[in-house]
Amino acid sequence: MKRSNDFLVGAIVLAVILTLTGATLWVKQTDIGERRSKVVARFRDVGNARVGNAVVIRGVRAGTIEAIELARGGWVHVRMNLDRSMQLPSSPVVLLNESSLFGEWQATITPRSALPHDETVQAQIGESTGGGDVLPGATLPDIARLTAVAGQIAGDVANVAGRVEVAFDERAARELRGSIRNFAELSTTLSHTVRTHAGDLDTLSRGLQSAVRSLNQTAASAAQIASRVDSSSSAGEIHQIVDDMSHAAAELRRTSAQVRAMSEQLSATQGRLDTFLTNGDSVLVKLNSGQGSLGLLLNDPSLYRNGDSLLTQLRGLVTEVRANPKKFVSVRIF
Amino acid sequence: MTNASTVLPEVSLGARRVLRPSRALSSIGRVTRTGVEGLGALARFTMRTFEAVRDIGTWGPLTTLHMRRLGVDSMPIGMFIALFTGIVLSLLASYSFTGAVPLYFVGTLVEKTITMELAPVLTGLALAGRVGANIAAELGTMRVTEQIDALETLGYDPHAYLVVPRVLSGVVMFPVVVGAAMVVGVASGWIASIGLLNLSSADFVKGVRLFFSGFDVRYGLVKSGSFGLMVTLIGSIRGLKASGGAEGVGRAATTAVVYSAVAILVLDAFWAVTWLLGSDR
Repeated sequence: MKRSNDFLVGAIVLAVILTLTGATLWVKQTDIGERRSKVVARFRDVGNARVGNAVVIRGVRAGTIEAIELARGGWVHVRMNLDRSMQLPSSPVVLLNESSLFGEWQATITPRSALPHDETVQAQIGESTGGGDVLPGATLPDIARLTAVAGQIAGDVANVAGRVEVAFDERAARELRGSIRNFAELSTTLSHTVRTHAGDLDTLSRGLQSAVRSLNQTAASAAQIASRVDSSSSAGEIHQIVDDMSHAAAELRRTSAQVRAMSEQLSATQGRLDTFLTNGDSVLVKLNSGQGSLGLLLNDPSLYRNGDSLLTQLRGLVTEVRANPKKFVSVRIF
Repeated sequence: MTNASTVLPEVSLGARRVLRPSRALSSIGRVTRTGVEGLGALARFTMRTFEAVRDIGTWGPLTTLHMRRLGVDSMPIGMFIALFTGIVLSLLASYSFTGAVPLYFVGTLVEKTITMELAPVLTGLALAGRVGANIAAELGTMRVTEQIDALETLGYDPHAYLVVPRVLSGVVMFPVVVGAAMVVGVASGWIASIGLLNLSSADFVKGVRLFFSGFDVRYGLVKSGSFGLMVTLIGSIRGLKASGGAEGVGRAATTAVVYSAVAILVLDAFWAVTWLLGSDR
């Protein structure tokens, strides 16, 4: 009886200890026999990450966080064990982030190229890079921080909404409605105009295209000219042209001196002409004022009338002479 | 205007008995003294028991017998309680988590609650009834039938012969029974989650692993060991102090169960405050 008690108690105690230990190791996924590979990453802060949290590669659970310990230089080292079959991505970095809204965290191993475009994360990764075999790591903000920011944003939005509510009364609404209506009309007009001028735009576009083509041709010609200039330069023709140009410049200088002399003579002639015109002007003034013989001749109508009657009489005399010459001419010989 | 009758509790004005402040203070003092005396008696009893541990030759051969009686024979009731606790807990968790919380947290809740609280406390309470009453009745009967006096006459130390093997059995076997209850409770919750809820086995295991820590098991086992110590000590002390024949034995058994249950709950709170609170695990 006593021996059976001993056996039974021993068996039960042993069975319970083994069962409990086995269950604990299984639930903790303890690495018995070092069948897993180790990876260490360093962070400035690990947030709420804990030993036993999942390690995820491309969304697939690949292991667990085995230890979290403080290290020199203000770093926190997170040691992870991974399934040996798992291959790390190229240039791997580790992100600690919440995997759900219920305080669950995980370590995500991802290539550096797949990092989120966030300045803080990039800065953390940049700072933690260069630790040798230790992977760089960054901690994403947890839900509490995000909700705090969201709360702040919500408060700001509420403030803005309050101000809008104050400013946006019924009159403002009517005006806004009218503005929208005007805008709709404007839009209709604009679309009509656009439809109308679509052909013009096409034409303009075609013209522009042809202009561009011409410009291209011109550019090609310019390029040809440039090449010719190049070739001319290389054949010595440019030197000849420059010589001719200097010769022409000398001729031009001479011509310019002659023109200058002519200009001086011309200015002397102009002086004489001015004097002549001044004299002529004074003569004309005297004539107009009836001074002198010529002035009297020009300005006295009686003289004209006397002359005119004299001519009439002369014409009558001539006519009479023609008709009866013997009356006035008597020729006698001897 | 106030008088003495409105200020002081009046017991019986007809008999002209008025509870005076001195009498109220006396009552408080008496209750305090009784409590402290009880604690002192328990401390003295515990001290004598530890002193008797040196007499291995006396308690050694008896220990496995008591281990079987207190532990192995209590396994069915412990596992039975854990079986249904796990089932009910998983269903309750799924009912509470509907919509808002992912269902795999059923695994987390079942594991945490069973290992840290329900398995130790419920099993402890069940064993307090079974073991505490058994010890108190057995020792009380021996006391009222003067068997203990006979042992003392024969030169046996009643503590070494009667108390130490029971207390050691309780300290060792309570964690064993609770450990088995943990496994059965979590397993029954797992099976119930798969069978009765829309929860896959992988999801339940994910939930269990999510926040599992070796501390959970250690905490439950250490707590249950302290429950075993207290239940067997209280049963022994109540039994050895029994007097007044069969009625006294019955009273000893009843008070042993009540005190054990209260001690279990007090110890549960004690461990929570001293070990759970502030532990970073």
